[in-house]
Amino acid sequence: MTTLALKQVQKRYGAVEVIRGVDLQIGSGEFVVFVGPSGCGKSTLLRMIAGLEPISGGELAIGGARMNEKAASERGIAMVFQSYALYPHMSVYKNMSFGLETMRMPKPEIDKRVRKAAEILQITPLLERKPKQLSGGQRQRVAIGRAIVRDPKIFLFDEPLSNLDAELRVQTRVEIAKLHADIGATMIYVTHDQVEAMTLADRIVVLRAGRIEQQGSPLEIYNKPVNRFVAGFIGSPKMNFLDVSVVGRRDDGVVIGLAGADVAVPLVERAKIGATLGLGVRPEHIRANGAGGTHLGTLTITHIEHLGGQTIVYGRLPDKQALIVAMEGQTLLNTGETLSVSIAPEHCHLFDADGRRLAD
Amino acid sequence: MTDTVYASNVVEAAAMPEGAKSSPLKRALVYALLTAVSFIMLYPLLWMVSSSFKPENEIFATTSLIPQEFTLDAYRRGWNGLSVSFGYMFLNSLLISVLVVIGNLISCSMAAYAFTRLQFKGRGFWFALMLGTLMMPQHAVLIPQYLMFLKFGWVNTIMPLVVPKFFAIDAFFIFLMVQFFRGIPRELDEAAIMDGAGPLRIFLKVILPLSTPVLATAAVFSFIWTWDDFFAPLIYLNDIEKYTAQLGLRTFVDATAQSDWGALLAMSTLTVLPIFILFLLFQRLLIEGIATTGMKR
Amino acid sequence: MSITDASNAGPPLSVRLRSQLGGYGFLLPWLLGFVVLTLGPAVSSFYLSLTDFGLMGPANWVGAENYVRIASDDPRFWTAMRVTFTFVLLSVPLKLMFALAIAVALNKGLRGLTVFRAIFYLPSLVGGSVAIAVLWRQVFAGDGVLNQVLAALFGYEGPSWISNPSTSLYTLVLLAAWQFGSSMIIFLAGLRQIPQDMYEAASIDGASRSRQFFKITLPLLTPVIFFNAVILTIDAFKAFTSAFVVSDGSGGPIDTTLFYTLYLYQEAFTNFRFGYASALAWVLVVIIAIFTALSFMSAKYWVHYDD
Repeated sequence: MTTLALKQVQKRYGAVEVIRGVDLQIGSGEFVVFVGPSGCGKSTLLRMIAGLEPISGGELAIGGARMNEKAASERGIAMVFQSYALYPHMSVYKNMSFGLETMRMPKPEIDKRVRKAAEILQITPLLERKPKQLSGGQRQRVAIGRAIVRDPKIFLFDEPLSNLDAELRVQTRVEIAKLHADIGATMIYVTHDQVEAMTLADRIVVLRAGRIEQQGSPLEIYNKPVNRFVAGFIGSPKMNFLDVSVVGRRDDGVVIGLAGADVAVPLVERAKIGATLGLGVRPEHIRANGAGGTHLGTLTITHIEHLGGQTIVYGRLPDKQALIVAMEGQTLLNTGETLSVSIAPEHCHLFDADGRRLAD
Repeated sequence: MTDTVYASNVVEAAAMPEGAKSSPLKRALVYALLTAVSFIMLYPLLWMVSSSFKPENEIFATTSLIPQEFTLDAYRRGWNGLSVSFGYMFLNSLLISVLVVIGNLISCSMAAYAFTRLQFKGRGFWFALMLGTLMMPQHAVLIPQYLMFLKFGWVNTIMPLVVPKFFAIDAFFIFLMVQFFRGIPRELDEAAIMDGAGPLRIFLKVILPLSTPVLATAAVFSFIWTWDDFFAPLIYLNDIEKYTAQLGLRTFVDATAQSDWGALLAMSTLTVLPIFILFLLFQRLLIEGIATTGMKR
Repeated sequence: MSITDASNAGPPLSVRLRSQLGGYGFLLPWLLGFVVLTLGPAVSSFYLSLTDFGLMGPANWVGAENYVRIASDDPRFWTAMRVTFTFVLLSVPLKLMFALAIAVALNKGLRGLTVFRAIFYLPSLVGGSVAIAVLWRQVFAGDGVLNQVLAALFGYEGPSWISNPSTSLYTLVLLAAWQFGSSMIIFLAGLRQIPQDMYEAASIDGASRSRQFFKITLPLLTPVIFFNAVILTIDAFKAFTSAFVVSDGSGGPIDTTLFYTLYLYQEAFTNFRFGYASALAWVLVVIIAIFTALSFMSAKYWVHYDD
């Protein structure tokens, strides 16, 4: 359990800059999730922390000590790989004891640690098997076990659930959360799956093109995305973006013109009348058939997805802008019919022309 | 019937393009043709083996492959047909071949590991040079090598045949192993790095144990080619006590001229026997080795 | 408790330097071998080729004299060239044709593929040995197996194919062609790479079998054919054992089996003309290099690559 700090960390391959000056403080025992689209540099950043990629610029400190030049094994870190990377020729026991043998730990101590980890992960009956004889979920546990036995100060996970089927993924997700609660180590977890990010993280770090776009608790990110990218990346179905223009100003905000209706949105920042803004509304915040809030317009339904517990309605507003509505429960609506939709002003997000969120 | 044949072969081979739908008659024709060609191909070898068990006067009396009178006489005559028993020469061949196998496995796997797994300046440059030596005929370096070994006092010893192999001189095996090592997931190395293992420990504990197929292939090929080699022993070995089986056989041709074909064929059979046994045991490895590197006999 | 306890206490070598050392450490045997056994000898062999170095006395610088003599005043060199080129130009196409034909036949999804494959491969594996050269000598001798079979089947009294100057070289071509097995295996591997759905698409388009072979199989196989041809050609230029054993090291009868390598061997290790033999060696290297370069240049006209 320790802290980790990145100061202006950079990674360059020749002239190509992959990580462009990342600053990040991670507290002791924190569960931090790096999330972002593929190619955003999240895995590279993780591998730089692990010591598998040299750091081109800036500083990495663990527990206050500079780590840039330290070998991976000297950083007090364990890593769980996407493919698990279990040694195919070694038994489960050997897989877990290999690292301990490398550091010449006495045999009885190794045995104690391996058995304890196996107990925690409930893989004791599998200790003599080879990875080939294990199911995907069991391999995943062994990979985590291999990390646990080393009693690391920091755990790194590189998309550890992406090779599991949907059901097992949910189950393992819960177990990882429980593991974190039990052993309390600092954990850094990379994923492109925003559900994993939301459910596991104490803090989410959203990355794009080698830069941190935003960091904060899952709900902070959800409620106050700093820009259109983050707003669109977190949340499912994706946030709707409508082009709107400012038609009036009020003391506590602005009035924007929408298809057929003017909506007053609270806003601290000033916006010019006539300026074009982006209005972001999450599908789940849109209410149908005048169930309160401000009227947005009348939606012509183009497509409906029935998920059972939820219904996703795709449609167009009178000005032809597309809008997605997520309705709780089931509905008898059909394609071609219309739906009157409204929104509570506090659920409106406004972004300027550069995609930056306007403070509210 | 066509259907069942097809189905059973899908398991064995990935793609069976044109013949999948051919008629039984055509199929039978192909079989007959292949069988005939196989027989012609194998006939000289079969004749060699069968003649070695025939009495001398029967060898040229009949073309039959089955000896009318089975005898080991030719083997007895051949075994002691030279001033030094063939047993010595087989032992010499065995010693050289085993040492070459050891040398090739150690040095080539080290080089292949460096080329595929370690980061160092000049890696691409050296790798290109290594590939260049694959194509280069040995004749260009033959004479200076000979003069160098002469200066070392190594001529008429097995040193020139063995020592170079400990310096990864057979680039083919480096290439073979590079191809294999590239298929081992890099995450395994990284897991081992996280486990605190250095390059040597990763090499010994992760890469090599996972490479037994390619090591076995390289070992078998090394053994066979060294066992079969004629040119290098011809140049470097002068005393008959130091001869390899191949050199002995060649000397035997001179010594007997054409007078004792039985003994000659018996010794020929014996020198081919180890290769044949290895072939039977490791057929799949050899064939896959050729198919993956696409090289050499 | 933490794993940093196990870290070495030595001076902090940078991570990068350590990996440099590791890389060169593992490469060291090869690097030494390359410098001492390949690069050095290659350079000094070129130097020797410009001298009259032999068993007698020190090496005297003679400039290009050896090369001039090879080109203008050495009938045996030209004989060796003619023999070698005949051998290469006959044995390589024969080998390729056999290998391709058998591979295509074997790829038809026959039962017993592995047995046939093994049988056809066996000669490649043993063919380079002295024993097989000895056997070949016997098969094509005057009282050899071939003539026995010919006499039994057709009542034809054959000559001694080995000692007859007009046929001796062809027995060696046949011996080389007999060893088509490894090329066949490479072809088989190449045939497996051709996606099945191409044939399915072609047969839906109504292409006949032979059209499929010429329009799909053959073009897609050209990279493998090219590769095999280059490798076989280089190997054929270097052929030695069979000619040496069959002709008792002489290249006879009357130099009809005087392979280039055999001539090189005689000059170097029978006549001990090391300088001259080095020049011969470099001529061979250049010939092989030119042949390979020409092959690669021709490749763009007939080898089909995907991209």
